[in-house]
Parts: sequence; C-alpha cells; structure tokens
Amino acid sequence: MQKINKNAVLALLTLSSLVFLLFQLYYYRSYLAHKNGAVFSKVRGSQSGQDSTRWHVVRKFLSLISSHNIPVYLIDPLILGLVDKDIEQIRSSSDGPSPECKYFCVPRDFTTFALLDKTWKHEVGLFRTAEKMGFQWLKVLNKDPRLDGMDDLSGTEIPLHYIFKLASHAIHLVVFYERSGNYLWHGPLRLKQHMDRKFVPFRKLHFGRYPGAYEKPELLLVSIDDLKIQIPKNPSSFLEEMTHSRFLECRYREARAFFQLYPDDASVDAVEFRKRAKSLLHLAALTLNNLGVKFWLSSGTCLGWYRQCNVIPYSKDVDLGIFIRDYKADIIPAFQKAGLPLKHKFGKVEDSLELSFQGEDDVKLDIFFFYEEDDHIWNGGTQAKSGKKFKYLFPKFTLCWTEFVELKVHVPCETLQYVEANYGPDWKVPVKTWDWKSSPSNVQYNGVWPVDEWDDVIQIY
Amino acid sequence: MEEWKPNAVLKPHKKRSWYLAWKYKLMNQRALRKLCQTGAVLFLLVTVIVNIKLILDTRRAAYEEEEESAQDYDDELLNVEVPRHPVSNKKVLDVEVYSSRSKVYVAVDGTTVLEDEAREQGRGIHVIVLNQATGHVMAKRVFDTYSPHEDEAMVLFLNMVARGRILIFTIKDEGSFHLKDTAKNVLKSLGSQVAPFLSWRDMWTFVGKKGGEVYGEKHAKSPALSTWGDPVLLKTEVHLTSVEDAECHWPDTELNRRRRRFCSKVEGYGSVCSCKDPTPIEFNPDPLKDNRVFDVPVAVIAGNRPNYLYRMLRSLLSAQGVNPRMIMVFIDGYYEEPMDVVELFGLSGIQHTPISIKNARVSQHYKASLTATFNLFPDAKFAVVLEEDLDISVDFFSFLSQSIYLLEEDESLYCISAWNDQGYEHTAEDPSLLYRVETMPGLGWVLRKSLYKDELEPKWPTPEKLWDWDMWMRMPEQRKGRECIIPDISRSYHFGIVGLNMNGYFHEAYFKKHKFNTVPNVQLKNVESLRKDAYETEIHRLLGEAEVLDHSKDPCEDSFVPDTEGKVYVMFIKMEQEADFTTWTQLAKCLHIWDLDVRGNHKGLWRLFRKKNHFLVVGVPASPYSSKKPSSVVPIYMEPPAKEEGAVAVPAVAAAEQT
Repeated sequence: MQKINKNAVLALLTLSSLVFLLFQLYYYRSYLAHKNGAVFSKVRGSQSGQDSTRWHVVRKFLSLISSHNIPVYLIDPLILGLVDKDIEQIRSSSDGPSPECKYFCVPRDFTTFALLDKTWKHEVGLFRTAEKMGFQWLKVLNKDPRLDGMDDLSGTEIPLHYIFKLASHAIHLVVFYERSGNYLWHGPLRLKQHMDRKFVPFRKLHFGRYPGAYEKPELLLVSIDDLKIQIPKNPSSFLEEMTHSRFLECRYREARAFFQLYPDDASVDAVEFRKRAKSLLHLAALTLNNLGVKFWLSSGTCLGWYRQCNVIPYSKDVDLGIFIRDYKADIIPAFQKAGLPLKHKFGKVEDSLELSFQGEDDVKLDIFFFYEEDDHIWNGGTQAKSGKKFKYLFPKFTLCWTEFVELKVHVPCETLQYVEANYGPDWKVPVKTWDWKSSPSNVQYNGVWPVDEWDDVIQIY
Repeated sequence: MEEWKPNAVLKPHKKRSWYLAWKYKLMNQRALRKLCQTGAVLFLLVTVIVNIKLILDTRRAAYEEEEESAQDYDDELLNVEVPRHPVSNKKVLDVEVYSSRSKVYVAVDGTTVLEDEAREQGRGIHVIVLNQATGHVMAKRVFDTYSPHEDEAMVLFLNMVARGRILIFTIKDEGSFHLKDTAKNVLKSLGSQVAPFLSWRDMWTFVGKKGGEVYGEKHAKSPALSTWGDPVLLKTEVHLTSVEDAECHWPDTELNRRRRRFCSKVEGYGSVCSCKDPTPIEFNPDPLKDNRVFDVPVAVIAGNRPNYLYRMLRSLLSAQGVNPRMIMVFIDGYYEEPMDVVELFGLSGIQHTPISIKNARVSQHYKASLTATFNLFPDAKFAVVLEEDLDISVDFFSFLSQSIYLLEEDESLYCISAWNDQGYEHTAEDPSLLYRVETMPGLGWVLRKSLYKDELEPKWPTPEKLWDWDMWMRMPEQRKGRECIIPDISRSYHFGIVGLNMNGYFHEAYFKKHKFNTVPNVQLKNVESLRKDAYETEIHRLLGEAEVLDHSKDPCEDSFVPDTEGKVYVMFIKMEQEADFTTWTQLAKCLHIWDLDVRGNHKGLWRLFRKKNHFLVVGVPASPYSSKKPSSVVPIYMEPPAKEEGAVAVPAVAAAEQT
C-alpha cells in the first residue's frame, strides 16, 4: 500500500511537471507571437476576416472625413509601395469594381493618411461623428514650431497627429503644416504623461519618430480596392522622400541665449549683408535644386544656423557642401547662367575640389566638395600662391532638413559634431578674425600640388 | 530541466524484469531507497519552482518590452499635472469689502480679488461681478463717477450684467460728484438703501444679487467738505446657487458650447449671454465675388481691452468677404479675458509676453505679431493689420480686394490704408474715391510681406528704444518716398477712448466725427489712376478743371466755398518749402480736421470735400502743382496764433495717435 502510494506520488509529480512544461511552452509561444505579430491580429484562423476588417476600417474612416469635407491623402508607405508597382494600371483604370482586395487588405496595424492643416477648420464635430461611428481617437498636440523662433509668443498648441482606432485596425492621420520656405512639415509624435501608452503600438508608426519636411505633393484621385482616394501623384518619389525626411528645428532658445551674451549687430551694413547673403543662398538653392544636386549648409553658414539661427553678419560669404558623388559638370554653367560667375576653382574632381562664385555686391558663394572615407569625411583647401593643400576632416554624418532664412535646406544631422570638428569646442564664442588655413581645428596639411598641375587645379578668374 | 527527463522517459512496464530486480535490490537497502525517493521528490519540487519563476520572468520581460515601446514617443518635457483645485462644495461665500479714501479691497473666501491702493488712480466706484454658482470673478470695472459721463457707462454696464449675478460695489476716494439720478436709481433698484443719498466723499460698500436679495451695505458719511468719510469694512455671506440655475438652457450646438463657456466666465457683454434671445456669434456675411484678399492673413493687434476686442471682432466678422480662418489675434500679455473673447468667436489667438514698456512694448508687440503672421501663413504676400479699437466697414474687404493688386505691382506704394486722416463728416463725401498720400495713416492697413521681411523687420526698433512703431514707419529712412493709398471715406472707425495715447477729450476732438463707410459693395472709381504716373495725370486733369476760389475771402468761413454740389474748387496757400506747413496747419485747425501733424498730403496738395464739392489745397511755391496757379492769385497766408495759446493742449497729445 505504502509502496503504491509512493509510486503514485512520483507519477503525479512527473505529470505535474509535464503540465508545467507544456504550459511554459505555450506561454512562450504566445509571448513570441505577441512580440512579432500584430497585437490586434492575434487570431490566425480567420485571416480573411481580418483582411476585410482593415478594408472596412479604412472605408469607414474615408466616409467619416468626407462627410466633414476634409481632404486627406494616403501616405502609408506599405500601401503606396504596393500601389507604386501597379501605378500605370491604377492611373488608367476606370471606376469598375476591382475583383479582389489587393491593397487595403494586406496585413498591417495601421493605415496612414496625411491632412493639410490649412484645408480644414478643426471642427469638434468630426470627433463626435467618429465616436458615433465607433472610433476611439487620440489627439497629439504640441507647440507650434512656426512661433518657436519668436520672442515669447505662446499660441495655442496645434494638433500634430490623430489616431483613430476601430476594432483591430487604426488610422494614423498626420497633420502637415505649411512653413516659410514653401514646404510641408509634420511634427514628432510625443505622448504626454496622461496619455494611454498602449492605445496603439506607437513604435510601429511610420511617421512621428522625428519631425519631417516634405515638398508639397501633387495629388491624384484614384480608385483602389473600390475606395476613392487621393494619393501622391508619384508614389515612388514620395517614398524616396520619406526615407530622408527628418527635420531639425533651429535651436531658437539657445540662439536667444547667444544674443543675450553677444547682442546682435543691427547696423545698416549687417542688415544689408544679411539681405544679400539670404538672396544669394536662395539663388544657389534654386540653381542646385534644379540640377538635382543635394547640398548642405557648411562652415560659417552652418555655424550661423546652429548658433544663432541667422546669417553671421561678418562672415562675408555663403558656404555650401556637396558630396563629390553628387558632382555634376553642369554646376558651373548653371551658376553662370544664374548670374554668378566663377571666381575660382581649386583642385579637381578626384581631389580637393572647391568652387567659388561671385555673388552680387561682394558676397561670395563657396562650394566645398566632400570626399567620403571609411571612417571620416573630408574636404580640401588650396592656397593659391603656394599651391599648398589642406584637408579638413569631419566625422561621418547624414543629412537632415531644416529651415533657414525662409528656405528648406539640408544640414548635417549630427550638427554639433560637425561644427565642433570645424570650429573646436569654443564654437559658441564669436571669432571675427578667421584664417581658413590655421583657425579650423580639423585642418591638416596635405602636401603641395605638383607644379605641372597648377594650371588645372588653381584657376582664378 | 534536462536532468529530470530520465525520470519522464522512465517506462516501468517494458523492462519489468530489470525494474523488479532493481526494485528488490533497492528494497534491501532501505536507507538508500528512502534517500533516492526523497531526492526525487525534492528534485521535482525544485523543478516546479523553477518553472513558476521562469513563467513570471517571461511575463515581466514581456511587460517591460511593451512599456519601453512607447518610451521613444514620450514627451521629453515633464508635464507636471497642475493639481486641480478641489471643487469646493461649500455653499456659502465669505465676502469682505473695504472702502476708504486711499484704498479699496474685496476678498472672497479669503482670496483678495481686488486691491487698489495706488495713488492718484482708481478713483470712483469699483464694481465686481461674481458668478452666483461658482463664486468666480466674472468682471471687474472701475467707473470714475467723480468725472462726467462715467455714471452713464456704469449704468450701461450694470444693465448688461445677467440677472442673478452677485454685484459688489465699493468707493475709492470720491464717487458721487457726477453720479446722476439715473445711476442712483439703478443702484437703488439693485436694493441699495444708501445710493440715492450718496454724497461728496462718502464711503460706501454694497453686496447684492442682481434682481434679488441684498447681502449687505455699509456707508460712512463725510462730515465736512474737506474730509472724507471714515473707512468702512463690510463682512457678509453670500449663498451660492447650483450651476444649473446659473446657466442658460441653450440648445446644445458647437456654437452654444462656446457661448456657454464664455458666459460662465465673464460678464458685461450683454445680449451675447442672454438666455432668451442671445445675439449670434456667427455672422456668415455675403461672400465677395472675385475676392482677392480671401487668403490674406488678418493680424488683429490687441491689448487688455476685451470689450473693445469684442466689438471689433463682431464688426470684422460681419464684413463681407471675411475669412475667419485667416484671422489671428495677438494679445499683448497673458490676459485671460481677451482670449475668452477670441475663443467665443472660434478664432485663433496668440499671447505675447510683454517686452519693454510703454510705446516700446507696443512696438515689440507689433513686430512679434507681424513676424508670427508671416510665419503662420508662409504663402501670404500681404497681411492686413488691424487694432482692437477699430470698427471695420462692411465693405472693408471689398475695398481691399479691388485695390490690393496695386500694392503688388506698383513699387512706389508703401501701404494701403482704410483710414483717411482728413476724412471727417464734413470733409469726406465719395466712397468710391481713392487718394495717394505721403503719410502712413495706419488704423487698418495692408503691409507687403517683402517690405516687412526685407526692410522693416531686420531694423525694427529694439526694445530699449521708446519709439512709436507708426512714427518710426513714417520716418523718411523707412518710407523712402513711397506713398499709401487711402479712401476718401474711411473703411475703419476708431472708437477707442482709453489707450496709451488716448483719452476722452482727444477722442472727441479728433476721432468722433470721422466719417465711416456703411454702404456695402462700393465699386471703386478708376483704381488704375492710382498708379504713380497715372495719378499725376489725374491730378493735372483735376486742377485743369478746378475753379479757383476767391482768395480775398477768409478760407475758414463757410462762405469761402460757394453753395454748390459736385464741383471742383482749388485754393492756393503759402508753403515756402517742402516742410513749411504753417498755413496748412492753421487752415486744418479752422476746418476742424487733423492738425496735430501733417497728414494726407501728396506733393504739397491736399484733397478733401467741402459742402459736397471737391476741394483742393495747393501749397505754393513748394508744390509742383504751383504752376497751375493763375498769376493774379496771391496764395493765402495764415499766421500761427501767439505761442502761449497754441502750446496749451497740443504738445501734450502732439502726434499721439492710434494704439
């Protein structure tokens, strides 16, 4: 009797262990699913049901916004990617019913739409209707960056993102604002403390990690999966734009602090120089953008943006950077055509290229070409009279958009490192006497051009 | 985990013989057997525990993961939640009211809601309106009833206060000298026993509900003309009503939600908060055909004069062709009530931390407002600039829509303004007529973005310069010889009486009689002729057909201009050089038009109307139009009065204006 009991106990324990093991395996599985798969689409069995849910949510959302006359357009990268493959067909197809749900049924957690702020009136009625239709919604507000540069203006906060959730699908509505420089801007998505962090898996949103800058898109009304919808006319270029749309706001607060320490120069000369530098920069941007050459603010102009959100009045020139891989032979003729004659050309495409154009009224436009190495990026300098070469080293950087003197331009995203490389740790202190051969903290002596090449690599007009 | 697997695979039935042998063998060694069994049990128990722990761990990890996922999106700023004041369920408010010669104060439940002990200020009757349900202060006013007409303003205000509100009165210094019987009767009807007998330098406090009970009243009579009554302190209790009783029952629409919010916060706006028949807060004026200013932003520059702002926005939103989306109200300072007014109308407002003082503060506020306007509407080429003390004509936008293209095309233009400095009731006649003038009138004007961004903004007067922005804009360095277009009959009306540079006397003398267009859809005459060169041709044509007046008569006399209608007359005055305005100033004075500085001139020519005739004044010989003077005519010279006389009133308000 006793022996049997002992065996029974043993068996019972073994059994319970097994049960635990199974439970554990099951739990782990569901945990994995949780992590990789959709939070919403847990149900694997009814795949088709899920698919049509997404379509239905999108349809409901579109009817909601059209009932309030709010023009939105699709910017969902996943769907636009699919649409782009069939763009010819979609453009030409008439409104006939489509046989299958090809786009709006693909598995995903969100569908993303864009809304131009100026095209709607912020009616509260929209949200009431949304609630009646069964949507839960979340609004993300933040400060208006267009007033950020201003001395102590406090507007009401502006809506940057809306999320409408219905059943297992959510609509992410990104609000775009027009800003000085003729571009569209959307804000970052930042949750305030009281907000529901689990409303949707915010991490998976395609927009909102950073603010972004976009060109104003041309729109096209198409019918996809029996839904009439506006999309960017050229989805592939929109998707391309999206990959490097990150926007940096100027550091207005720091700039104000800087001007507290070093009051701004409001003399007639300074005002005049700023005006000229601004128009030169606008002209240069226009010319390079027409050529499709990507450029960024470099040297003193970049420092001016980063430190004081303005042109440094005693800087005498405008400096731009271009990656040598983006070099085009048309650059020089294009500038000449724009009324900016070549002043000098140092180096050659293979090494240390630098162009300088003469703007109006003694303002010079310097274009430095940057060469990428494995662990750094550099540009070159040449002393005309001695043929000496210099090299300026920078840590690797990527490009971000920003707004400067009413222009949407690139700056290095890692601006601080870039500025510090160039101007050293004391970049915050204005220096009026600057020697380009010795002042920069990242300058290196780089030999001398061979004399027989001088005619080619040192051209002064 | 691995180690207990052998146990699990243990299959006792298949290898029975071996198992039995082993079993018997073990049975022989009892101690060892016992040990093994205990070991196995313990081992299994440990396994169970480890498993449970593992489960808990995974669970926590999963939870943390989720937490983290939202972290990137957290607002970096710590949004410290403002602890809300616990809603007091108290039904009774303690009210303390103090009245004395040099100090008044009102405390509600221990919180001071009014305290005024400043010298030479705040004389008269202070009135506070409390919400009967919440006890919040809805309005604070002071009526200097020592001075004339202020009692009328008080009656007007008290009539606007809704029934049921709690009213608190207290006198500082003197409040009875110009307190007429009408006002005394209104106070009496509120339940005051003392009001009808208030006299010179009495002290008085009163708390009552409009149209209801009296909570308390105290009075101290002045014993003699030269002394004040003793200070009085009234302590009383006020019973609060329920919120439902204090609010109106308007239908639940978006508009009424805004109205309810507004009316539960502030008081003194009259019928907008009337329960029975509230005045509309949405106007829907007729749209304009071919509206060329629909997308032009409208910047409304405001301070802390919410009643003015209310009146101004009403007229603005009633103007044909208005686009409420483009209106931005800029409030100088963190005042709540102006913002409430802005929100009542569903408009956008921006508050501005005050920088600097007096004129410089206004000037900085202008700069910030203009910059913000062009930032918020980056597409805009122009901005309409308005102030909070202006009525806007019904055809304001129509006027601009017809003329704005000139500002775009004609480089010699500085602005378009809705205001004619010389357009008084007796000197303006033709709503379709426009002028070019060398002065910048302001008071409702259009600014070109390029002018602001390229010229004005970079060199705008800095905060330490105590300049008037408009005076600065009129300086030759800024204006550079450019001109403004103005209408003969103004499209704005300046109703502000209190202000930085403004007082009742000044307003009465210079603004009250200003003509204001009320005709809708006026078709402007010959806008093309306002271009630089075309205007000269036009002027020469006008002078060509003009009849020269009899220069032997006194130009101040009415008979100087014949009793005709629709004719063009010209007179010549002496003007030695461009800046010689001696005669003009005297003429302006006797014509009762703007004479504090020179306004409305164009190359030594002024255009106005007298007796419905177009009346031209040419300064000879400085004006290029002097050539039109017949040689027989001697230009009129008017001598300035003796110094002392002229110096009395003028310098005090000289060049003061607007704001």
